[in-house]
Amino acid sequence: MSVKPDKAGSQPHGAPGVHTKPLWSVRPASDREAGDAVVSNFLLHWFPAKTYKPSLDWNYSFWLGTASAALLLLVTVSGLPLLFLYVPSVERAYGSVKDIEYVTTFGFWIRAVHRLSAHLMVAVVFLHMVRVFLTGAYKNGRGQGQKREQNWVLGVGLLLLTLLLSFTGYLLPWDQLAYWAITVGTNIASSIPFVGSAIRELLLGGRAIDQATLIRFYVLHVIALPAAIGVIFLYHMWRVRKDGGLARADRATLLPEKAAEAPSKTKTYTLLGVARGTSPAVKASTLERADTTVNSVPDLTRRILIVVLAIFALVSIASVFYHAPLEEPANALVTPNPAKAPWYFLWLQEIVTDTTVKIGSFTINGAFLGGVLLPGALVFLLTLWPWLDKSAPGSAGVWFPKDRRTQNAVFLAFVAGVLVLTFIGTFCRGPYWHLYWPWQAWPELPTRI
Amino acid sequence: MSEPKSRREVFLKLGLGAGVAALGAQAVASLRSLVPNVSYDSPTTVKIGMPNDFPDGMKFLPDERLFVFREGKTLHAVSAVCTHLGCTVRAEALSAPETKDVSGKPLRLTHRFLCPCHGSKYAGDGTNVSGPAPKPLAWYHLSLSPDDGQVVVDLARAVERDFRFTLA
Amino acid sequence: MEKRTDSPYPKVDRPILAVVGVLLVISCALFVWSDRKHDWRYYQATFRAQVAEKLGAEKAKLLRPGLQQVWVADLKRADRCMTCHQAALWKGFETAEEPLRTHPAGPLRNHPVEKYGCTSCHGGQGYAVDATEAHGPVEHWEEPLLGKTLGEAYGLVDDKNAAMQMNCNVCHRYDRETKGAEAINLAKKLVTERGCRACHVVNGRGGSIGPDLTNVGEKAAEQYEYGRLSGQKTSFAWHVAHFKDPRALVPETVMPNFHFTTKEAQALSMLVLSWRRAPVPADYRPGTPRTDPQTAAEVETELKMKTGPGAWFVKTGCFVCHSIQALGVKSPAQIGPDLSTAVEDVQSRFGRTLDDFLREPTGTMSVVLSRQIILTPEEKAVAVGKLREAFAEYQKQKAEDAKGKKPAASIGAH
Repeated sequence: MSVKPDKAGSQPHGAPGVHTKPLWSVRPASDREAGDAVVSNFLLHWFPAKTYKPSLDWNYSFWLGTASAALLLLVTVSGLPLLFLYVPSVERAYGSVKDIEYVTTFGFWIRAVHRLSAHLMVAVVFLHMVRVFLTGAYKNGRGQGQKREQNWVLGVGLLLLTLLLSFTGYLLPWDQLAYWAITVGTNIASSIPFVGSAIRELLLGGRAIDQATLIRFYVLHVIALPAAIGVIFLYHMWRVRKDGGLARADRATLLPEKAAEAPSKTKTYTLLGVARGTSPAVKASTLERADTTVNSVPDLTRRILIVVLAIFALVSIASVFYHAPLEEPANALVTPNPAKAPWYFLWLQEIVTDTTVKIGSFTINGAFLGGVLLPGALVFLLTLWPWLDKSAPGSAGVWFPKDRRTQNAVFLAFVAGVLVLTFIGTFCRGPYWHLYWPWQAWPELPTRI
Repeated sequence: MSEPKSRREVFLKLGLGAGVAALGAQAVASLRSLVPNVSYDSPTTVKIGMPNDFPDGMKFLPDERLFVFREGKTLHAVSAVCTHLGCTVRAEALSAPETKDVSGKPLRLTHRFLCPCHGSKYAGDGTNVSGPAPKPLAWYHLSLSPDDGQVVVDLARAVERDFRFTLA
Repeated sequence: MEKRTDSPYPKVDRPILAVVGVLLVISCALFVWSDRKHDWRYYQATFRAQVAEKLGAEKAKLLRPGLQQVWVADLKRADRCMTCHQAALWKGFETAEEPLRTHPAGPLRNHPVEKYGCTSCHGGQGYAVDATEAHGPVEHWEEPLLGKTLGEAYGLVDDKNAAMQMNCNVCHRYDRETKGAEAINLAKKLVTERGCRACHVVNGRGGSIGPDLTNVGEKAAEQYEYGRLSGQKTSFAWHVAHFKDPRALVPETVMPNFHFTTKEAQALSMLVLSWRRAPVPADYRPGTPRTDPQTAAEVETELKMKTGPGAWFVKTGCFVCHSIQALGVKSPAQIGPDLSTAVEDVQSRFGRTLDDFLREPTGTMSVVLSRQIILTPEEKAVAVGKLREAFAEYQKQKAEDAKGKKPAASIGAH
């Protein structure tokens, strides 16, 4: 059962690290072939040669990170045809989206895939963050040189970028939702004391919402933000490797060593796959014990394939039945009633509704308190949390460890708060932002004819 | 024992293979969205004005890229689109107009056409004389609109060079 | 043989992967189905068969398959109605069922499809290619098809199709009477008879006691007060109820109750809702002035030139270059000399009589009289006669001026 050190000449198939199969081995015949498959293939080279079994569990990470990446891929791919079809002009944007909906072959489906995967991405990235928090996966375990807290900060950045991409995206059809979302969004920015109106003018490219605004948000949506999210995503993945994989893998070091195993001197491809001395000093013998690890190819790659393809299939099927909404053409003269942000911003809309405070004769606009200060403080706290969390390294990679009980409870309370506010905003708010039960009918809204 | 296992194997491979093929098919089919299904082009039959708007001689219509010639009661229209690579040719008045037989009918030639892009030259009836132009300039069908009496050109209907539209 | 680590995963994961593969195949099938399911494919096949049966296979070949669009750049309308309504411009299907019936020829004669599209008259959503979304009412599209269904929902008196006249009047708002728009014509008659302009500005003129109605059709539905309105909450329903009894909806109003019948109230509601700030190019709107307005004095001068003693010179075209002050003809260009004194002037310039000069002109006049203004000898005689009259008139005026000036000058001297 021991792994023999490779000797040149003992392998008729080629030199170490040279993989003889054209792509990679779907079913490698040996551990060596499995390892070579990873190293010699561009698409696989960011994976380790071996994977700690518990990291592969469905019910530890729920594969939310992989799902986020799959959705990012899907949203990017489905955005490509839309780039050719959408016209970023105030006069023609709405018509071009109507054309995509009605007369472009598969157009409505492509748009639905784009919309749906964007929505799902917001949800999945958020859940991924919740998972990482609850399992304390931003904590450094026993490896040396781990900087998981950096990766957490990158993750918070990715969440914000996901939200910004969604926000800039739903402005583009230039319908009522778009127009009034820009109005509200940029007015929140303008509530910042002293510099607010300057920021708003910068965002709008003027004082009125017009062509200059549309082209700004368009360029942000199709170039600036995707480039940013792409770069940070790659760095995020690289750090996962540098930090020794999932936090759960750190727990392998706690396993007792099997003394009988012959220690292997040279490991070209360890579990962590990092050849440098600064890599986490995890004893390879423990990690590569046959009962704790499997070959990444094909066991890890197969599961990744399952997650990615399943998401593609499900989004694709759902998109045939889901119709991406498109409201009336933008009309500066009429505000829709109720004017709702998309669901993932509704908790903020709720907060903005309730946070205008009067202290004596002094009034603080809810836009500033609830729209800038409060979310700003939340993001700030979230970013700094790994440094505030003083629990033991052993609590990394475990669901609900004892010494993180309080902080997990507080965090869940915040999450619950956001979810409740989102629920209220989505299902319980009607015309004039009045409260209605979800099953209660809204009063009939007047129409022209 | 081994036979059912290999059949299972085939099914598993078939399932995944078909799935990946389907995914590829979707990606390729999505490219169909780039082929437009509806046209925003301007119509090919265009009303170009009342007969009186066309004086004797030549009138150039930049919107339609068309030269309309009038000789008394007869009109004919010659395309201004160079047959080489589609630039708009310019008309140059001849110092001495001449009458020539074109497709069996006499035609008074008052201009010749020069293409600014690659130097093609055309005679007044549209014949390509020199330069890279591969064929003569097109002639288009003219008629009278029954509702308001305007001259109508059909840019999708090229006609022979003996075509004359005679006003009543 | 090298070692291969055993793994518990393939046994479960590989079937899962196969299931995912099947899901992908299903998604591909659904994806293709979603494109094929549209009703217009069925209607096009049906119509093709009908044409082949009625008019022969040759004619059926002329039908272009696929989505049909009328793009009217002037009105920014892209109407796909004829994707289903294939027979609209074909003769011979006048009695067929919609959507495969011929469009009545009358309205199309003055409103060709390529200039107006479909929805500028009929309403509805031209972008859409499925009946539900195209005809409405559908969420997020405020212009439903102005057809029978809507007319029945409102219980329109007499003509259930009358709602469409609202769109007629977007262009025809300055017409006194529009052929075929009976409800709108009735409403316009009521506007004059009942003196709406006493209180309201209508089409640019009227009183200021009530609100200006010039663009009242543009007012958003939510801007009306529906508190006292029962039934449908729409601008149209509000106007009908308001016309019938203004005080019932707005207690403090000073608008009197005109006791309009339901038909009249409906007609008036259509009229006011048609008063929109629609972005229609001027040549779509009959009655829109296309010249700069003339002052009364200008109109009078022009009339005098056309009908006065100098009318002959205006008609012939001489006035383009020559004024004839004595006959009240004023040239816009004034290139040539005033012809009031032509009898004398020609003599002094050319040394020939006027008759002689006109018979064989020299200089500029030789070109003009041989190319642009070609006169018969009889006409030349008329010209000479009239110019003599003009000279006589000129001398008379001069004498009068001399008489009138003297006393004036003597007054100035004092």
